[in-house]
Amino acid sequence: MISFHDVSFTYPGASHPALQSINLEIPAGSFVLVMGPSGSGKSTLLRCMNGLVPHFSGGTLNGTIRVADMDPVDASPQVMSRKVGFVFQDPEAQFVLDRVEDEVAFALENLALPPAEIRTRLDATLDLLGLTALRERRLDTLSGGERQRVALAAVMALNPSLLVLDEPTSQLDPEAAEAVLQTLVRLNRELGLTILLAEHRLERVLPFVDQIIYLDGEPGRMLVGDARQVLAEVDLVSPVVALGKYFGWQPLPLTVQEALPFARLVQLPESSDVLISDIQATLPEPVLRIVDLHVFYGLKPILKGVSLYAQGGEVLALMGPNGAGKTTLLRSLIGLMKTEVGEIFLLGESIAGKKTADLARLVGYLPQDPNALLFADRVLDELLYTLHSHAHKPLSHRQNGSVDPETSIVEKAAVMLAQMGMANLAEAYPRDLSVGQRQRVALAAIMVAQPRLLLLDEPTRGLDAASKQRLADLLQTWRDDGHAIILVTHDVELVARLADRVAILEDGVISAQGKPAEVLAASPVFVPQVLQLFPDAGCLTPQQLINRLRSA
Amino acid sequence: MSTQLHTWTWLAWLSAALIAISVTRNLFYLTLILLCLLVVYSFIEGANQRGAYPFSLLRFGILVSVLSMLFNMLISHFGETVFLTLPEKWPLIGGPYTLEALVYGLTNGLVLFGILIAFTDFNQAMPVRMLIRLIPRAFFPVAVVISIAVTFVPTTIRQFYQIKEAQMLRGQRMTSLIDWLPLVMPLLVGGLERALQLSEAMTARGFASTAPNSGNTAHRLVMVGSMLWVMAGWVVSTRAGWETLGLGLILAGALAFLAALWWAGRLVPRTNYLKEEWRTGDVVVLTGILVLGLALFFPFEWIDRESLYYSVYPLLQWPDFDPWLATALLVLGLPAYVIGLRG
Repeated sequence: MISFHDVSFTYPGASHPALQSINLEIPAGSFVLVMGPSGSGKSTLLRCMNGLVPHFSGGTLNGTIRVADMDPVDASPQVMSRKVGFVFQDPEAQFVLDRVEDEVAFALENLALPPAEIRTRLDATLDLLGLTALRERRLDTLSGGERQRVALAAVMALNPSLLVLDEPTSQLDPEAAEAVLQTLVRLNRELGLTILLAEHRLERVLPFVDQIIYLDGEPGRMLVGDARQVLAEVDLVSPVVALGKYFGWQPLPLTVQEALPFARLVQLPESSDVLISDIQATLPEPVLRIVDLHVFYGLKPILKGVSLYAQGGEVLALMGPNGAGKTTLLRSLIGLMKTEVGEIFLLGESIAGKKTADLARLVGYLPQDPNALLFADRVLDELLYTLHSHAHKPLSHRQNGSVDPETSIVEKAAVMLAQMGMANLAEAYPRDLSVGQRQRVALAAIMVAQPRLLLLDEPTRGLDAASKQRLADLLQTWRDDGHAIILVTHDVELVARLADRVAILEDGVISAQGKPAEVLAASPVFVPQVLQLFPDAGCLTPQQLINRLRSA
Repeated sequence: MSTQLHTWTWLAWLSAALIAISVTRNLFYLTLILLCLLVVYSFIEGANQRGAYPFSLLRFGILVSVLSMLFNMLISHFGETVFLTLPEKWPLIGGPYTLEALVYGLTNGLVLFGILIAFTDFNQAMPVRMLIRLIPRAFFPVAVVISIAVTFVPTTIRQFYQIKEAQMLRGQRMTSLIDWLPLVMPLLVGGLERALQLSEAMTARGFASTAPNSGNTAHRLVMVGSMLWVMAGWVVSTRAGWETLGLGLILAGALAFLAALWWAGRLVPRTNYLKEEWRTGDVVVLTGILVLGLALFFPFEWIDRESLYYSVYPLLQWPDFDPWLATALLVLGLPAYVIGLRG
């Protein structure tokens, strides 16, 4: 199905190739995971499959590519669209029309297929993807998972033999992601469709894949082959695989089900709560206290009596399905949402009537899209802008456009950049940076004001494992410095590693809150893999389990 | 549930609503029209499964009406019912303030609000694909670009608010014009990024993969030639005694243009899978529109059409009310009835 022979590609103006000496043979009907750190060339590789690279991107491509018996470079992406379906990360960014049925039919009408054939294909595709009931719905009324399935349907209607997906579940909660992945499995198994998928959250996809392409970012270095073989050789693995490698389980388990028989044989020392902190018992007055909070959109209630607190020196993870009201809650805490009933106390004082700009001195909020924060010409200027805004002083500019700051403020910004590990990027243009770097710049621009409470909305979306690790380290440092942190996320493994407390928000109410091991274990959706394997161990991450075994 | 009436039915309804709003300044009739349009709006929103949120629209309507009322009161000093007088020497705002000017401003505000709801209803009820179909097939790529631009507007507005909030999160108070400058760059760059993503997605989905067969240049030449022919006809028609010849040339040029358009459309390899059907609901709505048209323009003796042309000046009085006209105006709410029946 896919054959790459000595393929190298360099983007226009780039000094290094994005892909170098790639050799691949993927048989038809495979379910292939493309993995590797950010910037390793995963998206570039995927875009070679249908000719977007080099036709859309420009650049120089060497070597030979064959996909579904065609050469994408000769054929162009438009022609390849009949053989290769391509689904992007953000479904909203690829929609042309406004209704489900119209969006799916759009490409078929462009191909000038006879109306009868379009109707047949449309009905079949909607049925295949479980969208028949939604066919007349407007796209803006659908959930994230439903939109991603519409994006899938739009390419599946063209009857492709290869489906390429670039992080299709990165914007979805666990349940919606599972639904999309199950759909892909069905397409793979029932229709024999070849699937090529890039994904950072390995625990989601490993149960389904039979081959892995691992790009490690070094020119010419890649691994291709059976999932177990590749995972045995790389560090970037899911918790189950990490434990499998540590204990030497063979064959290496990829799923919790495969690992359970091995886990039952492991003798664990007596459980204790040492690894789970009990912050409430040891710390004084909370930084944040929410009492019976109600928030409405129009007449629709979004938050229906939320009561919650956050202590200094703790990370509170706020989890729940999409649409539960998590972002609304965060926005209420910074004064971006009007609260109808209830009170929010910050350091013991009600925030009622206070402006967002004033609250921002005490509350830092990193929204889902950090790009919205970045506008300056230099990374350093982003931090200076925040400091000047809080000091109510306008920025003065040099002739070259960069900011002319006061020395004390520059020092403050430089210290923050150094703490974030970005001192060498102070002069860089923020929007030229990688996703993870841009997020750290946005975070630095918020944290430079030293807020007592930090709110993060889905901070690991689209981050690779290394960026996620750096973020977790930073949050741990700030927690240890006494900041209160509220983390809204679907990333169960991040919560397992970082959170001191977990609250589950469902349909506008807190349905559970407490220690991570207790709350996550009780939730069918958010159980970490380690807890599934060792429910009585009181450990949430492989490292915690390994540490316990070592200390015993 | 569906909001679908035939595209031409919705167009006829929109035209009828706009005409009705334009021909009357009678507050009773205007209120009736607005109520009909709002009811249609809430039914469309219900059918679109968004839940009814007419309140932001209502808030906008109140804002427009109040602003129009105040503006007219400040600049227009006609009318006999004076309730306040400022010194004449005060520029612009000096002079008598009248109840008539206030009500006239309110009436204009309601007219503007009515036009906005009518277009909102139409926009919400019509899928973008149906609007694209209204544009001749020869201009299909242009139509797609327009539809994308239309769908980009709400996204851009949403992004604007996100960026504004993001800057407030960094302590920016948005008090002066210069505070708004940081919004421009992210909005611009974000818009370009989205445009690039969409164009990449459209390329990957085969947009423009089937090039027009042939004759691209020829039909364009015919179009340009026919337009020149029409212009020539117009020039000729301005000369005394040559009017008929001029008119003939104009007609010939227009026909040639339409033929070239049809020809160009045939060359665009594209199909429409969905043939719109005329249903009972369309007949009901179109019949209603016909009745409204007759009531507004046909000289029935028992209809008091003078009540349409109510004026508040020189002295404010209650407007007349004709029950026949009022009943006819109610047909503007018929799409709500049809949507409700289908629900």
